[in-house]
Amino acid sequence: MKNKIIMFWAIVLIVIVSTVIIFVKPTKLGLDLVGGSRLMLEAQTTDSIAKITPEVMGRLQFAIENRVNKLGVAETVVQQVGEKRLLIEIPNVTDLKEAKAFLGETAQLEFKKEGKDKDGNQIWISTGLSGQDLSRSSLSTDQTGQWVVSLEFNDAGAKKFADLTKSLVGQQMAIFFDGEIQSAPVIREAIYGGKAQISGGNSGFEYAEAERMVNLLNAGALPVPAKIVEENTVGPTLGADSIEKSKFAGIVGLGAVMLFMIAYYRLPGLIADIALIIYSLILFALFKTIPVTLTLAGIAGFILSIGMAVDANILIFERTKEELRAGRNLFTAINSGFDRAFTSIFDSNMTTIITCTILYLLGTSIVKGFALTLALGVIVSMFSAITITKNFMHLIFGTGELKYPALFGLSKDEIGKSYEATETKREKARFGILD
Amino acid sequence: MFSLKKHVVHVVKYRVLWMVLSAILLLPGIVAMIYSSVTYPNHAPMKVGIDYTGGTILQYGLKQKITNNDLTTTRTNLEKIGVENPYLQILNVNNTQQENTKNNINSIISIRTKFIGESSDDVENITNTLNQQYESPELIQVSSVGPTMGKELFKNSLIAVGLAFLGICVYLSIRFKFDYALAALLGILHDVVFVCGVFSILGLLYNVQIDGLFITAILTVIGFSVHDTIVVFDRIRENLRYYSKKMSFGEIVDASVNQTLARSINTSLTTLITLGALYFFGGVTTKDFVLAMILGIAIGTYSSIFFCSMLVDFWNDKKQTQKSAPKETLAV
Repeated sequence: MKNKIIMFWAIVLIVIVSTVIIFVKPTKLGLDLVGGSRLMLEAQTTDSIAKITPEVMGRLQFAIENRVNKLGVAETVVQQVGEKRLLIEIPNVTDLKEAKAFLGETAQLEFKKEGKDKDGNQIWISTGLSGQDLSRSSLSTDQTGQWVVSLEFNDAGAKKFADLTKSLVGQQMAIFFDGEIQSAPVIREAIYGGKAQISGGNSGFEYAEAERMVNLLNAGALPVPAKIVEENTVGPTLGADSIEKSKFAGIVGLGAVMLFMIAYYRLPGLIADIALIIYSLILFALFKTIPVTLTLAGIAGFILSIGMAVDANILIFERTKEELRAGRNLFTAINSGFDRAFTSIFDSNMTTIITCTILYLLGTSIVKGFALTLALGVIVSMFSAITITKNFMHLIFGTGELKYPALFGLSKDEIGKSYEATETKREKARFGILD
Repeated sequence: MFSLKKHVVHVVKYRVLWMVLSAILLLPGIVAMIYSSVTYPNHAPMKVGIDYTGGTILQYGLKQKITNNDLTTTRTNLEKIGVENPYLQILNVNNTQQENTKNNINSIISIRTKFIGESSDDVENITNTLNQQYESPELIQVSSVGPTMGKELFKNSLIAVGLAFLGICVYLSIRFKFDYALAALLGILHDVVFVCGVFSILGLLYNVQIDGLFITAILTVIGFSVHDTIVVFDRIRENLRYYSKKMSFGEIVDASVNQTLARSINTSLTTLITLGALYFFGGVTTKDFVLAMILGIAIGTYSSIFFCSMLVDFWNDKKQTQKSAPKETLAV
């Protein structure tokens, strides 16, 4: 009995801790609930880079992270998925098309000089100086008031630039941005000091155009082009609507299950209901502590797990009722109810966990959310439905005779009129049966 | 004293009846799946969504209720601006149970097109077209899946289902005998075929498409179906220990099914209650997902009570006859 009282207070403590966590910690909500964009970017191979190596992916991720930060939105996520993909999450983006174009731009800056191909045609050939040699760029105006992009090279870049301009005096040098020629000034003298400017050619830059180029150059070029292969954007109104609906559905579902349990199993049903509430508290606290990002599918997994959590109790109570019908005393009936139902509960929950693991490993992020909440739910339910319910049952019913069979939804004449399982001595010892 | 033989359901006695009933439940779906495989251009047994084929779905929230005529006009308008074969659908939002005064979205128009890449202006063009026809449509959801991505997702889904089968089979063979594992697996197959069949029919009648969430639902149903079956088998295993000398195998199967009947039904009932709440009050986007689970769990309960236990008994019968007259039966 002493153990049971200690256990009871342990449960109370868990409930208090969970409640505090629920109030203190914020819930992480998925983009489908708060609104936002999920983009999957895939690195594309080029003629010069035929294979996407982890090193290339690292540089790509770095450049994309820089760009995402430039969007000025809080709580963005950039994460590598598989070998050549990046998952980007941006909540509440205002101009998605703009953002998408910004993220996907390769932003390759190249300096080229005049040359000839093998047929003698005039072409631009690479000089080896590129955007990678920049330390920073900024927006400024030239003498005529035109917008220009100022470039500052790093040490290596400054040296390359000086050598290059020295060798090209009197010739043209072209500046290419993403394959498009921006300007092609004639070099008058060698330029030392590592500074240069890009003017927008004859037409000049629009302010927005120059600003965009500066942002892209500062964020760094992508080592390889990247394409959006998957997109999911949810507007904030739909998200808010989904939260409301899920809350309502959850409350209705939980309420209906609780009513059913009381109607069918009476007092044990009420105990199971209390265990179910504790289950919800613990699970929610866990979601917030880990933290699990709640998505619509995740909430569906949670609500589904409510149905599964009472399953263990139903198994136990059905078994306890059978034992009572067989004329066992209350204490024995409760104990053997729990003991005998345990293998079924364990086996069946294991299969659910197997499927959840597979879903988690192979699924898309929506499916992952569902699998995670369902698996956590199943694990927590093993504790709530078995440990908590058993403890409450023993504390409430004690060891005496069952005076009111109606508490279990049984009638007096049912008792002792059912089949009787014949136990071995070992089992009798385990269930605490006295002959 | 011994009321073990007083039963509500008779699994063994009406074995043929349960076989026929399963056939009746499964056949229409199988026919629909075969018909779909033959007639659909991509030869899929069900209508597949953009998750697997690639494509873009744009959803606009509208203040007004729209009719099928509005939809036809929209389709013509979209085709005029060069959107190839747009597939349009109305999703009605039921705002009865909640105050939704802020946004007042009364219907959602969903437009499925081929994959719209980041460099295309199609989204803007479609929004402009809708703007001309409806009062301030709001783009509430965009889902886009590239064609190669779709193929990969499809492959992953098949691997997931295959692995789930394998995992459960291994686990069951460790915990139970192989015949039981096989019966449980056939039970899963029974349930999966039923749900897929119903969705195939729904695809033919109402254009319901399957997506990544559908596979999730199927996997959950697999978990559940096995869950139910295990409880029955566990009871058979336990009863065999106590009664194998007094009762025949068939009687034990019947008794076990009846002992676990209340549990099987009650568990499914509580789960169906929560799913029902999700179906009627939850978000529009998860409706089909929940429907797949409702169907799967209902059929899963049926199969664990009748189909799987019948199979176990059936095999046991075969074994018995083989034992009693081994040479002759094998020769036939």
